[in-house]
Amino acid sequence: MDIFESSLNLEESHLREGYDEGYADGLISGKEEGQQVGLKTGFETGEELGFYRGCVGVWSSAIRADPNFMSARIQKTIKQMDELLQNYAILEPENEAVSDAMDALRLKFKVISASLNLKLEYKGYPKSSDAAGDIGF
Amino acid sequence: MKIISFHIQKHGSIANDLYSNILESSSVDSDRRMNTVQVNDNFHESDADDLWYDDDSCEDSVEKSGKALDMDREWRRRHDQFHTLGYRDGLIAGKEAALQEGFNIGFKDSVLTGYNWGRVRGISSAMASLPSALKEKLVETEETRKRIQQLHESVQCISSTESLKLFYEDQRRKSLKQETAEPSSSETNQSSDAGVLENYQVQLQSILHESPLVEGHLKITP
Repeated sequence: MDIFESSLNLEESHLREGYDEGYADGLISGKEEGQQVGLKTGFETGEELGFYRGCVGVWSSAIRADPNFMSARIQKTIKQMDELLQNYAILEPENEAVSDAMDALRLKFKVISASLNLKLEYKGYPKSSDAAGDIGF
Repeated sequence: MKIISFHIQKHGSIANDLYSNILESSSVDSDRRMNTVQVNDNFHESDADDLWYDDDSCEDSVEKSGKALDMDREWRRRHDQFHTLGYRDGLIAGKEAALQEGFNIGFKDSVLTGYNWGRVRGISSAMASLPSALKEKLVETEETRKRIQQLHESVQCISSTESLKLFYEDQRRKSLKQETAEPSSSETNQSSDAGVLENYQVQLQSILHESPLVEGHLKITP
């Protein structure tokens, strides 16, 4: 009498059956969940990049209008930011180079604003934990 | 219930979608899930007692068929119990498999809008913070300089969280508009049709148009 054996087989097939159904449901809900997170992260990432892009654009224009506006060192840093932004794979969140590029951008932005004595960060700017309520420039 | 409450606890609103998915699936299916719930709740108490019968009592045919029925029910319970276990594991694995894909889709849907909005922030605040002599070199007319300052002030008031909210609202409005296909009124009111964020973008664009010295048109490398 192999009632035990057949019971084990059945259990396994029930497990698998449930697993498959769960997997199919998980694909749907996982995709939706991921999409929500992606929508938020994408907007915030884009906002930060665009912010740098805007600043760098204005600074570059300012340098062209008045080359003595900033020290050569800072001009070079601005140029580097410009390059980082141009090479940034904005539509590839999975690209591994992207987070290094973001770190470098943040650092350079800090260096530049410190040397220009500017406080340009916006409310909710990722790295402004120390002065969250501080606006202005 | 266990499956469902597990989801609600862990995954908030997504659970509602999933919940309705489950309810939508065939009635046989949902019946079985209901069974699963019961089984799961009293499984531990009843399992050991009910599962195997002693065979020493003498039985008539009625008892026999009753017993067969019990056996049937038992098989069913065990089926449901294992089905549930499998379902949970499968659900987690399925989610993990699809999360990244969903993330990428969402990310690509919003990153460029965020980028354009961020540029409004960057350009207006960097402009506003330039020394006035330099500002006058870059932007000829007093009026345009004023407009930049105003734009900067209103943009600076909007925190990152708020702009994200505005983005969501714009998205919703757009999808709603697609459904109803209502004719768009002209820009009489700032927040009426175009969306708040886009509106600032339009303002910036027109300012940049008047100030050709400011680098405004910047490409995005996809």
